Amino acid sequence: MAEVIQILILGMALGGVYALMGSGLSLVFGVMRIVNLAHPVLIMAGAYVAYWAARLYGIDPLLTLPIAAVILAATGVILYKLVFEREARSAKYSEMTVLLTFALAMVLEGALGTAFTNTQRVTSPDYATDAFFIGDIFIPKGQLYAGIVSLAIISALALFLKYSRFGYAIRATTQNREAAELLGVNVNLVGLVSFAIGIGLAGAAGSLVSFVFSFFPAKHWEWIAVLMSLVVLGGMGSIFGTVLASFILAVVAAFIGAYFGATWSTLTFFVALFVVLLVRPQGIFGEKPELA
Amino acid sequence: MKLLTLLTTTVAVCAMATAAHADIKIGASLPLTGAFSIAGAKHKQGYDLCVKMLNDKGGIGGEKIELITSDNRSDPATAISQYERFINVDNVDAVFGTFSSRLTFPVANILAKYGYVHPIPAGGALRIYKQGHDNLFYFQPNAAEYVGSSLKGLIEDLVAEGERPKTAAVVAADDFFANAVEAGFLGQQVMDPADGSVVADLAPGYLAEAGIEVVFSEKWPEEGFNDWLNLANSIKRSNAELIVALTASAEEAVQITRALKTVRAEPKMVYYSQGTQAEFYEGTQGASDSILMHTSWHPAAPYKGTLAGEEFTNGDFVAAFQEEYNAAPDEDSAIPFAVCQGIEQAIIGAGSTDNAAMGKWLSERTAGDPVRTILGRFAWDDVGLPVNKPFLVAQWNDGELQFVYPTDEFDGVSNMTYPKQGF
Repeated sequence: MAEVIQILILGMALGGVYALMGSGLSLVFGVMRIVNLAHPVLIMAGAYVAYWAARLYGIDPLLTLPIAAVILAATGVILYKLVFEREARSAKYSEMTVLLTFALAMVLEGALGTAFTNTQRVTSPDYATDAFFIGDIFIPKGQLYAGIVSLAIISALALFLKYSRFGYAIRATTQNREAAELLGVNVNLVGLVSFAIGIGLAGAAGSLVSFVFSFFPAKHWEWIAVLMSLVVLGGMGSIFGTVLASFILAVVAAFIGAYFGATWSTLTFFVALFVVLLVRPQGIFGEKPELA
Repeated sequence: MKLLTLLTTTVAVCAMATAAHADIKIGASLPLTGAFSIAGAKHKQGYDLCVKMLNDKGGIGGEKIELITSDNRSDPATAISQYERFINVDNVDAVFGTFSSRLTFPVANILAKYGYVHPIPAGGALRIYKQGHDNLFYFQPNAAEYVGSSLKGLIEDLVAEGERPKTAAVVAADDFFANAVEAGFLGQQVMDPADGSVVADLAPGYLAEAGIEVVFSEKWPEEGFNDWLNLANSIKRSNAELIVALTASAEEAVQITRALKTVRAEPKMVYYSQGTQAEFYEGTQGASDSILMHTSWHPAAPYKGTLAGEEFTNGDFVAAFQEEYNAAPDEDSAIPFAVCQGIEQAIIGAGSTDNAAMGKWLSERTAGDPVRTILGRFAWDDVGLPVNKPFLVAQWNDGELQFVYPTDEFDGVSNMTYPKQGF
């Protein structure tokens, strides 16, 4: 029983980190229909902010989180203006963004490699490799703190979306862009702000990633399939769905890894992606696409 | 007739003059992005430094060297096409090998097809050398399958009989190189992927030979694996006294070390296939203390090589690297530097860049008349593996990578710390 509880704890702890990593991706798709394949490399950029703040000034990555979020959000504004805004009304926008963001990911990977080299990095606050022990069971502090911060940020985002006036506008745009525009919502501004928030979430997630996993520029390719699985299972555009999917898949992967071998744990994400696309393409909380 | 003779002579003289000033073109496809980008970038530094220093000293035989490097994105198909391009489009005179067994294995067929000398900096899987090629020259001590012999020797030579680890957990990346090292430890058969034939039967394995029972073994996928704590927890629960972690990169070594520290594993001995790099220590700090790992190079090794026909020691390399890159080198830069030294000596020895002559010269090296590099002396057997060249075993202690085994290779050996006191 202790072993089952332990695996459950480890899965949940990992799920908390995944949740924030996937939320920005989900928000950006929900509002802008941008399939952002560059999201993981932007998480890497956030991780570098945390790493250098820790290395140069000794700042804890949890304290760097808002700085990384703001820097990346500002980057998001620039990217949106430069890359995405012009084609936002195109009928093939989503399809185009796949190629656009793929190219953007490669450019950003190269830029990060040039700026910071391809050397692996990781921040090492004491809690990153420590744990609370309760008998034989342990709770890793690093992942626990990351999960708590992650859920706090997502909760704040959910409250903002649900109760603020701008949040209404974002939700309205997510549900029906044309109808929202007819009702007077400045969808361009909503798109810009949503994209900035989404990329800001990537920056925040990067701060957490910096002490949970080691990273280097090319590492983002390993993350894209995992994050897409979370977003697709949760329902593209549904932040709550992404959070739920993060916990489900992380826990399932942990049990599969423990009982069937680590080789199979990663497969969990790909199988989930495959099954969801076959059985329920809209995911758990996504809306069924209308037939043309 | 005189005019024709004059024209012919002029053309011939011009051709000879052009040849005299022609660059020696060398191609190297490296994983500068993708999964192997960390080691790939360091390999480029090693190649670049060597070529720069050779050119500063006048090149090879008076000819400047032009090094063409391409990023293969850690992708075997791209590596193959880039070497094809080097040979058929760029008309390179020689090539430097790429990084990793995964990329070297397919590239070996291409370079063999065109008859190019294939100096391999990192590609230790035995299968590479059992394909029947005669153009391979490996610039590390031995095939990956035989790495475990060093740990077995170390345990038998340095640990008192009653204190030796009795049980082991062997975890490995599902990677070409890590699988090869694992096969040696566990005594598995090495199969030829082409026809399923047995390349080598390594039974009973180095751990069994050392009297160590394997109580846990596990593989993790080559890419995208994040559940390190779960894996570390399983290792801890096995109560293994020896942990053998065979990673495909130093980055994985950082992850597994941090996870083992988090779960508070307490083995007597820990052995890694990677981790000599400074970034490994930066990512693991004190947790890396007492961890053992094999290495092909150590900054303190008093090896004497040659460069541009002059003596060039390992210490010279360390100083030159530090000056060029303002950083300390590690084996991922030292090994390609040695490859470059080997090719320089082969060109000089053969008297040309004719690859058949270069290959003949390299294959004729002996213990008494070897290739001399900053990794020591090299002479190869029929398949291209070095002869009589033991792996070095190093150990991190207080932030210093100390050379601990074998004890009779050269002076400067440190005492091994044993048992490990937690992470």
